[in-house]
Amino acid sequence: MIELQGLTKRFGGLVAVDSLTLEVRPGEVYGFLGPNGAGKTTTVKLLSGLLQPTSGTARIAGFDIVTDTLEAKRRLGLVPDEPFVYPKLTGAEFLRFVGDLHSVDEARQRRRIPELLEMFELQDRGGELVEAYSHGMRQKLVLASILLHEPKALLLDEPLVGLDPKSARLAKEIFRTLASRGCAIFMCTHVLDIAERLCDRIGIMIGGRLKAAGTVEELRRQASCEGSLEDAFLSLTGGSEVAALLRHL
Amino acid sequence: MRLLLRRKLLSSKNRLRTMTPWEWSRNAAFVLVGLWMLAGLRYGFHRLLSYLAGVELIGLLLIWKLTAMALLTTFGMIMLSSLIISLSTLFYARDLPFLLRAPIGLRTVFLDKSLETSFFSSWMIALAIFPFVIALGQVLQLGWGFFAVFLALTLPFLLCAAALGMLFTLVLMFLFPSSRTRDVVWVLSSLSVAALYTLLRFSEPEKLIRPDAMKLVAEYLDYLQAPTAPYAPSWWMTKALAAWAKGNWEVFLRQSALLCAAAAGAYGLLLALAGRLYARGYSGAQESRRARNPIDIPKTPELRLAERLGAGREIAILYWRERKCFFRDVKHWSQLVLIGALLCVYLFSISRLPLDTPDLKSLVCFLNIGIAGFVLSALGLRFTFPSISLEGRSWWVVRSSPLTVDSLLLEKWLFSLFPMLLIATALIALSNHLLLADAFIRRLSLASIWLAVGAMTAMGVGLGAVFPRFHVENIHQIESSAGGFVYMACSLAYVGFVVASEALPVRMHFMAKLGRPDAWDPALLALSGAALAAATAAAVALPLALGRRRLERYEGD
Repeated sequence: MIELQGLTKRFGGLVAVDSLTLEVRPGEVYGFLGPNGAGKTTTVKLLSGLLQPTSGTARIAGFDIVTDTLEAKRRLGLVPDEPFVYPKLTGAEFLRFVGDLHSVDEARQRRRIPELLEMFELQDRGGELVEAYSHGMRQKLVLASILLHEPKALLLDEPLVGLDPKSARLAKEIFRTLASRGCAIFMCTHVLDIAERLCDRIGIMIGGRLKAAGTVEELRRQASCEGSLEDAFLSLTGGSEVAALLRHL
Repeated sequence: MRLLLRRKLLSSKNRLRTMTPWEWSRNAAFVLVGLWMLAGLRYGFHRLLSYLAGVELIGLLLIWKLTAMALLTTFGMIMLSSLIISLSTLFYARDLPFLLRAPIGLRTVFLDKSLETSFFSSWMIALAIFPFVIALGQVLQLGWGFFAVFLALTLPFLLCAAALGMLFTLVLMFLFPSSRTRDVVWVLSSLSVAALYTLLRFSEPEKLIRPDAMKLVAEYLDYLQAPTAPYAPSWWMTKALAAWAKGNWEVFLRQSALLCAAAAGAYGLLLALAGRLYARGYSGAQESRRARNPIDIPKTPELRLAERLGAGREIAILYWRERKCFFRDVKHWSQLVLIGALLCVYLFSISRLPLDTPDLKSLVCFLNIGIAGFVLSALGLRFTFPSISLEGRSWWVVRSSPLTVDSLLLEKWLFSLFPMLLIATALIALSNHLLLADAFIRRLSLASIWLAVGAMTAMGVGLGAVFPRFHVENIHQIESSAGGFVYMACSLAYVGFVVASEALPVRMHFMAKLGRPDAWDPALLALSGAALAAATAAAVALPLALGRRRLERYEGD
């Protein structure tokens, strides 16, 4: 459903994403991990058409994001790392706007928008301008917007940041439900516990390259590590030197 | 404070260091063009001042009167600019939460931000007065000392003007911390400025500088010698410069000291008040209006229209969003009040033109296309050019949607086109009516301005897309950017071309009116029409094509 083939992105002399090849199958939640600056957000931007690749291809539900961009975007839902939404629209108006952009029919929109606002406990604030929303509320609004048009592939960049525990739990349930309905989910996160519990497979990226990929068990084996995903991650990314660094504290 | 200034210095240094060769050459080209324009202004002022210097007896009086008026205008513009910019820089700047969390005194943060406001609100306007002063020094042969004195006095002069604007904003934000009240006051302020501007123009100040409007010569001389605005720092600056020119050191020192003391006093007052008012104003600025709107939103009128037409669905969706966002931002539509005042003053000025013959009136109506074009270009710089950049950090919503860049550009174009057409029609049709233009000129000028508005708005949207700035803190940074400069230059060049290409048909028209046989030359008419059509097609298609290409490949400001 989400296919990357030799995807590369350069910014001048910097190679942000280097020959990335991976596939997220329908119904699969793929966790994308890596230290800061590894190229995770750049990958999400490439997949969502916000950036153009230097070389390689990215396909969403079989459609190339560069050459068949509109068809690919029709099947895509994006939750970016910073949920900036038009401050002068109300929450309900933003959902209406997204619904119209994705050609969601009138009757469905009028039924679903109040339902989604209620689901994320925004029903009392849905008529207020987004500029009055907190970070978490904006995050919930963006999550609600992707549920309105039922995407085939979902790109999530730190989707749980800023959410209260109840909403975070709800979001995780939603992702699992969507996956069970055949949606392919590509999720960047720094929260390893969530990745371990939520993701079917995980890819670890360092310096723009995919260093390791597989299930949690496979990653442990690759890292020759018996502990948690965190231990495997730190072993693969060189984070085990933390103890040495702490001496300088 | 030293630390805060150092961060700005480091940011600038890093910005310069990371500039690509393309950016260096682009900026160098802009600087060169800017210098060329300033040199042109200096030439114009030099000719004007040389002419005035040649007027017997009162030449020098006229020159200093003009200087006083130029400095007063500069002072007023900087004050207004500071008033508008300070709302963003003092209360909504992105780095403010970080600075206010840091162990830095509130007054220090305020001082840092107020210096930033003073700089941004004054540098461009101050630059525009330089050619005048250089011409003044050259015409009066005042030597390098005069320029050094001007530069030294410019700093307190600019600081004074900017401080007054900030003082108003500071008090406003303290008194009206809630957003709704603040919006109302913002509109009332716009109304006051508009009323003041209109009243000033309706008092017909030009009568004063026309000796024939005065009953006695002595009355005219009194006017020339009277202070232009005795309590304004611009007048103190004028007096100081005039005193230096005449070698009257006592007056020079007194007026300079007064100007410096006023700047120090204004800043002192600003800082003293900031200690008491800034915290409450800032806190109020963070609150947002909690207006209740319905959750159940029926199909939008734009979408209903698009469905009835069977086309333009994407444009209709974007148009609805644009309309909602525009009219909910009080800073946008309060400026409509100012545009209304501008329209009144424009038409009043037209009606007061001392024109005798019907042909002369018709000719002025034709040339009015150029003046109206200039006004519309300036409005385009404020409303059309920034429209793409104003997508801001919500750009991802549109870009990741199944939507073509063409639809976005077309929607932005249409959103600007209708109001601009309305303003253009009002400017031209009412001017034609007031001056009783003949039927040919009426039709030609209306058709021309409609054509020009179509091209200018396309240029505004297209060039706005070629130079997008999604991460700026306020709209003035978009207007005063290199892209804004390119837009103004292109738009004015196009308006100039429209007038120039129609000069031939208009000449033929007047020749025919004068009874000259064979006045109309079909070949020349066709040539003029073809040139105009080609220029308009290029003005519409080229910026839009470049803008589309740029947005499709956009990777950051």
